[in-house]
Amino acid sequence: MTPVPGKPVLQTSTLAAGYGGRPVISGIDLSLMKGEVLCMIGHNGAGKSTLLKTMFGLLAPGEGSVSVDGTDMTGRTPRDIADMGVAMVPEGRGIFPSLTVTEIFALGMHAARVPKEERAERVDWVLNILPVIREFMHRPASTLSGGQQQMVSIGRALLSRPRILLMDEPSIGLAPKLFQDLLAPIRTLQQREGLSILLVEQNVKEALKISDRAVVMKSGQLIWEGDPGELSDNDRLMELY
Amino acid sequence: MLAIQLAITGLQTGALYALTAVGFSLIFGSTRIFHFAHGAAFVIAAYFFYAAFGAGWGVIPAIGVSAFGAVAFGLLLDRLVYVPIQRHEGSFFTVFVASFGVGIAVQNVIGMIFGRGYVTVNTTLSRSVEVIPEVYVSPLAWIAIACAAVFLGGLGFFLKRTHTGMALRALADNPELVRTFGLNPRAIQAAAFAIGSVIVVPAAIITSATTGLSPAIGHHVMLISLAATIVGGIGSIPGTMLAGVMLGLAESLALLVVDTQWTEAVTFAILFAFIIIRPSGLLGRATAH
Repeated sequence: MTPVPGKPVLQTSTLAAGYGGRPVISGIDLSLMKGEVLCMIGHNGAGKSTLLKTMFGLLAPGEGSVSVDGTDMTGRTPRDIADMGVAMVPEGRGIFPSLTVTEIFALGMHAARVPKEERAERVDWVLNILPVIREFMHRPASTLSGGQQQMVSIGRALLSRPRILLMDEPSIGLAPKLFQDLLAPIRTLQQREGLSILLVEQNVKEALKISDRAVVMKSGQLIWEGDPGELSDNDRLMELY
Repeated sequence: MLAIQLAITGLQTGALYALTAVGFSLIFGSTRIFHFAHGAAFVIAAYFFYAAFGAGWGVIPAIGVSAFGAVAFGLLLDRLVYVPIQRHEGSFFTVFVASFGVGIAVQNVIGMIFGRGYVTVNTTLSRSVEVIPEVYVSPLAWIAIACAAVFLGGLGFFLKRTHTGMALRALADNPELVRTFGLNPRAIQAAAFAIGSVIVVPAAIITSATTGLSPAIGHHVMLISLAATIVGGIGSIPGTMLAGVMLGLAESLALLVVDTQWTEAVTFAILFAFIIIRPSGLLGRATAH
């Protein structure tokens, strides 16, 4: 694993959030360092997706703060946070079924305010990272397989050339081999461009292989943080997940 | 000759139904808001035209006033009624009751200002001329069909080729994901109301010069819009267009076999037939999404 550089790009401090007054996460102090892959694992309902949504502005925090590159972004909109160089690959399939892949990419770049003259180049850049997308660029997303839809979702997130990528369980519904194929180019890109990635996963073994650091979440709180190797060796925790 | 005459009349009616219903379908399909007051937007557009044209403003300024009235009504209703209900996570039924109430209020206000009886815009364009022996068509019929073709074609292009159009389709698919993209669902929703309201304007104006207006016409407009949306397939704009034309033709051609008092019943017979036999409609998806 690559050493973790020192500068935090995304931080939360005593973050708490929930739905309808019911707290789901609380007291979350988390830092994503520049250029690292941080893997977050935990059971269903542990609060992983809630944390990601709160970090990305999709959910208003009840307490605490979120900062990007030291700038307080607490309570700001997803658009504001995206403007800071953050992109999110949401849980499930981050595609619009009635749109074609070309349209999803066009809408993604429009939303990210990518200059018109750069859009073709951006699409080429993503297609070089995930070349298989070329085969189904003009098909409606509803006609794609789960793996293809996940590639489109990741490709769309990359179109804004983010510095920070939040990925919420990209392996859901995918065969392990397909998940490996999906992660490999992302890992290459991360190493080449210094991308910082927060990867929420239940497919623990595969996710830890590409991670620099890991955290474990349980009942809305972070209960463990350390080296992925340590986690792999920790039989008690590995049995849990 | 009677069948040809009825078919042409049916096409005119169908074109107006399509224009009216597509506005409702666009709003409902993209926002899932049951905009019952869509009929009120029609009434406002029609009476604003009637008032401005009657005051001697000329056709183009009167069309502008009509469009302004319809769009302003749609946007204000969205901003002042629907958005607050959504913010408080109000139910589908809450939205329906609020919208129905606004529709009734508009009907009464229009009735107080313009009277409750029928009014008509007088124009030479509504005078029929014999196009082939025993078949009479008014220029307004051709204008109605041309308006429907231009507006509905334009809407199709808009939804397919522009970012706002794509965003409207995206909103229909998944509002949460729209936010994840960094788009503003409220702004897209407002666009749906503006476009859905403005597309009703040509139908409202042409109706004011053909069958005439009454404050209560909004209910008929809404029922036709709802029927066309269901028959066409909920969420399908092309389906709604097709269903609007089909219902207009069916109402008119039904005169070959039934009395005029039964023509409206034909629409609802078709609606019930679709609900029972093909609930997904002409071009709708077989399953909910």
